[in-house]
Amino acid sequence: MAEHAQDVTVKPKACYHCGEAVPAGVRLEIDISGEARSMCCPGCMAVAGMITSNGLENFYRQRSAYSERPVEGENLDTEKFLIYDQQELAENFSQYEENGDLTARLLLGGITCAACTWLIEQTLSPIDGVQQVAVNLQQSRLDIRFDPETLKLSEVFARVEALGYRAQPFQTSARKEQQRDEYRSDLRRLGVAGFGMMQVGMFAVALHAGDIQGIEEQYQGLLRGFSLLVSSFIVYYSAGTFFQTAWRHLKRGALVMDLPVALAIGLAWLASAWATFTGTGQVYFDSVVMFTFFLLLGRFLEARVRQRHAMTWFDAESTLPDAVRVKRASGWTTIARSQLVKGDVALVQAGQTIPADARVLNGESAVREDTFNGEHLPRSVVEADTVYAGTVNVEAALQIEVQGSYADSRLAALQRSVEVAETEKPQLAKMADRIASWFVAGVLLITSATALIWWQIAPEQALWVSLSVLVISCPCALALATPAALTSAASALRAGGVIVRGENALETLSRTTHLLFDKTGTLTEGSLTVQTLRLLSPLPKSEVLKLCAGLQHWSNHPVGGAFTTVEDAVTFTNVDYTVGAGIEGQYADQSYRMGSEQFCRQICPDLPPLPEEPLYWVALCQGGTAIAWIGLNDQLREEAPGVVAQARDGGLQVGLLTGDSSPQGPLLARELGINDIYIGLEPQQKMQRVQQLQNESAVVAMVGDGLNDAPVLSLADTSFAVAGATDLARTQADFVIVGGNLAAVTNTWKKAIACRRIILQNFAWALGYNLSAIPLAASGHVPPWAAAIGMSLSSLLVVANSLRLNRSSLNREERLG
Amino acid sequence: MDSLYLLIPVALVLVALGIKLLLWAIDNGQYEDLDKEAWRILAEDRESDPKKTDSQVSGDD
Repeated sequence: MAEHAQDVTVKPKACYHCGEAVPAGVRLEIDISGEARSMCCPGCMAVAGMITSNGLENFYRQRSAYSERPVEGENLDTEKFLIYDQQELAENFSQYEENGDLTARLLLGGITCAACTWLIEQTLSPIDGVQQVAVNLQQSRLDIRFDPETLKLSEVFARVEALGYRAQPFQTSARKEQQRDEYRSDLRRLGVAGFGMMQVGMFAVALHAGDIQGIEEQYQGLLRGFSLLVSSFIVYYSAGTFFQTAWRHLKRGALVMDLPVALAIGLAWLASAWATFTGTGQVYFDSVVMFTFFLLLGRFLEARVRQRHAMTWFDAESTLPDAVRVKRASGWTTIARSQLVKGDVALVQAGQTIPADARVLNGESAVREDTFNGEHLPRSVVEADTVYAGTVNVEAALQIEVQGSYADSRLAALQRSVEVAETEKPQLAKMADRIASWFVAGVLLITSATALIWWQIAPEQALWVSLSVLVISCPCALALATPAALTSAASALRAGGVIVRGENALETLSRTTHLLFDKTGTLTEGSLTVQTLRLLSPLPKSEVLKLCAGLQHWSNHPVGGAFTTVEDAVTFTNVDYTVGAGIEGQYADQSYRMGSEQFCRQICPDLPPLPEEPLYWVALCQGGTAIAWIGLNDQLREEAPGVVAQARDGGLQVGLLTGDSSPQGPLLARELGINDIYIGLEPQQKMQRVQQLQNESAVVAMVGDGLNDAPVLSLADTSFAVAGATDLARTQADFVIVGGNLAAVTNTWKKAIACRRIILQNFAWALGYNLSAIPLAASGHVPPWAAAIGMSLSSLLVVANSLRLNRSSLNREERLG
Repeated sequence: MDSLYLLIPVALVLVALGIKLLLWAIDNGQYEDLDKEAWRILAEDRESDPKKTDSQVSGDD
């Protein structure tokens, strides 16, 4: 932990709070633990000030990841939380305790490491009226219990927000509850089996020692009796699940791994119980309990990998704001979004998300609709235009008239298409499952054959020998082979910034034949940068950039983002912003205009025509003099060419599917060496293309970003989402690339192949061990205790082999670095 | 060796107690968030009252 914390602190010129580069010219400093630390923005400054003034500087020493940069502007508006003081809204996520206390559950955004949970707990617990605070790291969930007389629910929201985290009501769903219950009962069974294994093992040691050096019959009977008692409980409590599953599948005529497991456990237990009562033969209670434990352990590990990051899933509605400003007879008031009805007039400030599908009543602005089309350049809207729920109002305040409820909105349709795509996704059978049914059939055949033959030779041996066969063929190592490798690979990937969420994701990825990329935000950065400058006056390039930066400082438009890194921006006065056109301002007694061709030509008729290159062009004029054409471009990610080349060299078919119809797409594809290009695709067409490939029996991996790709990501056999610092809930993919480094795609692919290799090795070993031991057991040469030891060693070997996945990744990264 | 007749039942009672404790801990939600607990035990608390940041609130519901 300490090393991580150091990494975080030494980077020069990074904001001490969020780690983003401190823009040139920004001088915000705050004293933390006796040292002046620089901040990138007033938002970070406010949060850091809050933390230090509460005496919680320890947070900075203990965290292992940078905090998220707080949202500016909107987070200061605490009024929006007042809606949570309304009874009907609060009921959804809070409840009254017997003594009048209120317990509430909040979902927190921006929790990056365990130190965040500490910070929140330490900040909230000293507040008057707060009884208990607990933050769940895995689910990013806050549980708080407080006295509603002294503290209001809205105040809790505001306090959390002031620390730089985003709070919203935690929605419990049946699926989440079910997952938690399953996890708990798995753990219960495993824990009980573990205790039982220790106890029965102790008796077994005594019994085996007795076999060797002699034991009085009464003590043997005593030890066996107690073994029977404990193992009966274990078989009932822990192994019951095997019997249930086996029976459930058998009724439908399916052979599953649980069937020989249940048979072996059931028969061994019955036979041992018989031996105990009659005082003859051997008992194998230790083998019974050990089987149960190892099998449950394998299942538990597998389920943990599966559930770990599946806690959150696609929920488009969560992107919408909870509170909305609406016009009522008495004036503007804030209400909950769920109370919006058709015909309400709502106010959406610049930077806010539009809460419902609506028509613009008043105002002019531009909305960023990347939710639907993936493009980051906004669409201009004027009166009577339609705007959609989930898009972001970029430029100026809008008054809108709500057209319908959430269920009728375009966003809800997107959500539904994701759900439909999920069900249409081709299901590739798990390797273990495919092997299992053959294996099970084989084991049952061999066992019955053994029993039959021994029945002819020596009837009194038949049961014990066939039991030996069942025990020795019991697939403990086989059951661990896949989950152990998957767990190991997933934790290695986690360290590299990739979160594995899909169930069979790694296995499917290793068999991928086609790798398809989205363009904007995936292969490209998703934001504009200055590509070329056409100078039209003697003014040098650096001066032009300073002028641009000075003007764009006042704008919310994505163009402004291209100039934030320019140092010593000029300070303009009398700045005026024209929506959808450009910006003008005064500097050194001169008036400047920057914006579209039309807008600049109004004062500067001499402006040369728009250059032909396919870039996003803006002009800059000083009065009647044209200064420059500035060509902006969504730049290719630095690592993209390497990723595409690696994938191609590895034998993958690489393709590009983009919604953008501009010539940028083909240009970029040629640069990367991608031949399979599809441009101007609607989300529906993207899905058709993927389905077409799947019908040609291709295994498709899709790499995309954001909401608009969600349907195609769910349809693809396996998928990657490049997520910035946005919520996991907004991304729908098997793999989430958290750091935004595209190289993770090929790294994960290589890891998946390595994982598959390890799984095959594990299978080879487990099957080889079982197959070579079965003839020995069938001929009556292996006593079950030896089989049990062999099984344990075999399982350990499988686990050790799987752990190699974790180690090799480190070495590779070192070599790369 | 007759002591076995006493010692084994005593051992079983202890095991039963252990299982009972484990089940209580699981139902109490103490295994729900293993990553955080692993970190929390190493973190220094501020001088505050440790009872308040107990992670028991999440318990049953």
